[in-house]
Amino acid sequence: MDEQTTVLNRSRQPLTVTLREFELTDVDDYFVWASDDRVSPWWRWDIFTNKEDVLTFMEETVLPHPWMRAICLDGRPVGAISVTRRTAEHQCRAELGYVIASQYWGRGITTEAVKLVLGTIFGDMEGLERLEALVLVQNVGSQKVLEKAGFTKEGILKKYLIHKGKISDMVMYSFIPSEN
Amino acid sequence: MNHDEKHQKPKTPTITLRKFTLSDVDAFMSWAADPRVTRFQRRDPYSDPADALAYITTHILPHPWYRAICIDNTPVGSISVKPAPGEDRHRASIGYRLAYDYWGKGIATEALKLTIKAAFEELDHLERLEAIADVDNPASQRVLEKAGFKEEGILRKYVRLKGETRDMVMFSFLVSDAV
Repeated sequence: MDEQTTVLNRSRQPLTVTLREFELTDVDDYFVWASDDRVSPWWRWDIFTNKEDVLTFMEETVLPHPWMRAICLDGRPVGAISVTRRTAEHQCRAELGYVIASQYWGRGITTEAVKLVLGTIFGDMEGLERLEALVLVQNVGSQKVLEKAGFTKEGILKKYLIHKGKISDMVMYSFIPSEN
Repeated sequence: MNHDEKHQKPKTPTITLRKFTLSDVDAFMSWAADPRVTRFQRRDPYSDPADALAYITTHILPHPWYRAICIDNTPVGSISVKPAPGEDRHRASIGYRLAYDYWGKGIATEALKLTIKAAFEELDHLERLEAIADVDNPASQRVLEKAGFKEEGILRKYVRLKGETRDMVMFSFLVSDAV
């Protein structure tokens, strides 16, 4: 069953946000945010400059990923959202990541995509009790997405990740279904 | 009343850190076989020194930074620094364990202070040391604070421990923090 919800477009007409698995034929849409120089600074990966590299990335990373979805607006991919377990020993936790093309920022689409994930991920991933997200301290937009979706800010982890060559402070958020 | 005489804490014994050798297996068992020490560890207490020997051989000896906490060159515990996986080599996490009879004497705090200094000197690019302590382990939280670590927050349902999911307190010590 497709997860879906409704947001309004700029002229206040309803659009539908859905999640689905990626296919290689999505490469043109994937290229839109992967090559977007407004998006790339917020991500650890380097900006993509050609579609062949995006295709390779989709083959090697996106399609085999244990849980990754296209964020679709009226059926068309405008971003990606993933849930990743980073350790084998602690199956209780997984990390949320998401990206959306910059022309769609500020319309509540990412927040809806995150809410759709929250509605399904704890059933999909056995043993998952904690969904966490790490956000650069300067990425206020992403912090608002998580807060609107119901995540709790747990603290700031200083000098936690290397982001684009710079050691960066990250805000830790989490969603615990039994508590949030 | 002379407060110094009445309330003076016993001095912490002199401790040193050194690498393990296989002949440390009996000393190792003094904490690794004790359920009071392993309570907040993922592993169960060892009952067979052969298993302990295997652990020393396969895990401790090849480890990037693993030291025995010694009094008069006899190990009474261990402390280790593990670099973060992947690209984040600027970050490492500390773990430590001490034989029960040596708790409450400031030994773990002293071992941490020595380790912090050594880790920042010896590990290239290190900028962040971190440690997590179970919310139900206030003794360990105090040790970290006394050693200069700063609490950053409580990470809920963060780790699996012996069939339970636990909340953990995250602490850090940055290269910019003075020892």
